[in-house]
Amino acid sequence: MQNTSPLDKKTPSLVDVRESALSTNKVLRNTYALLAMTLLFSAAMAAVSVAINPPHSIALVTFVITMGLLFFVLPRVQDSGAGIAVVFAVTGLLGFGIGPMLSHYLSFPGGASIVATAMGGTGAIFLALSGYVLTTKRDFSFLGGFLFVGFLVVIGFIVLSLFVNMPAMTLGISAAIVMLMSGFILYDTSNIINGGETNYVRATVSMFLNIFNLFTSLLHLLGFAGGDD
Amino acid sequence: MDNIWVRLLLAGIFIYMAWRLYPAAKDKLENGPRGSSKEWLNVSMLIGGVVLFVALLMSLV
Repeated sequence: MQNTSPLDKKTPSLVDVRESALSTNKVLRNTYALLAMTLLFSAAMAAVSVAINPPHSIALVTFVITMGLLFFVLPRVQDSGAGIAVVFAVTGLLGFGIGPMLSHYLSFPGGASIVATAMGGTGAIFLALSGYVLTTKRDFSFLGGFLFVGFLVVIGFIVLSLFVNMPAMTLGISAAIVMLMSGFILYDTSNIINGGETNYVRATVSMFLNIFNLFTSLLHLLGFAGGDD
Repeated sequence: MDNIWVRLLLAGIFIYMAWRLYPAAKDKLENGPRGSSKEWLNVSMLIGGVVLFVALLMSLV
């Protein structure tokens, strides 16, 4: 009769550890693959929007629909194949909605340079931060509370800025969003590699929104520096 | 945006977003893991690097 030590039940077996690592790698691989496809799709939709030059109200319409999909549809389908379709719908709408903003900056002298710098800067920040987490495998889950509360504070200032016309405040909001999204990139990447996030659809949406908000805020800051405001 | 109704609609959406996020934010703040001073210093340096990079980009355009 074999006597099993209590330690045997508490210590994960080698098989468990290996399965956990394989599962994490699968989520990571699927997330970055889907993220790459949705970024390309969103960029293509943005290009279409710039080309056809829709009215500025399209940004509001796409924003409202996107919020509806994120809050009411995605939670219901994120565990099924339909979740991928919703992700493409969200990213496509956001890309299309940003068209008027891109057209605005492209219309200025040196506007193409501003947009290109914003794109390159966003890519560099994302690759650097995400790459840092992937290589060091550090746990940034402690950032969660700080980031979510910071996001609520920023939302408060955004609501205020809708009724109070202060360019300095909108610039401050953009700067805060750049720092917040950088923190969220660290937090979300850490969540994926440390097993805190197991749904690659949800992980992709989080990461896309980090990149999207980072890009739009960086574009606003560079537009100001380039002499827009 | 000159239309007050558009501003009110956007404000309503953002307020709803904040209302949905508030329970998660409160939970993470109260029950989430605490970072050490070394970890916070590490994050500060990373975010500081991002700030410097953005300042560099702004000086280039």
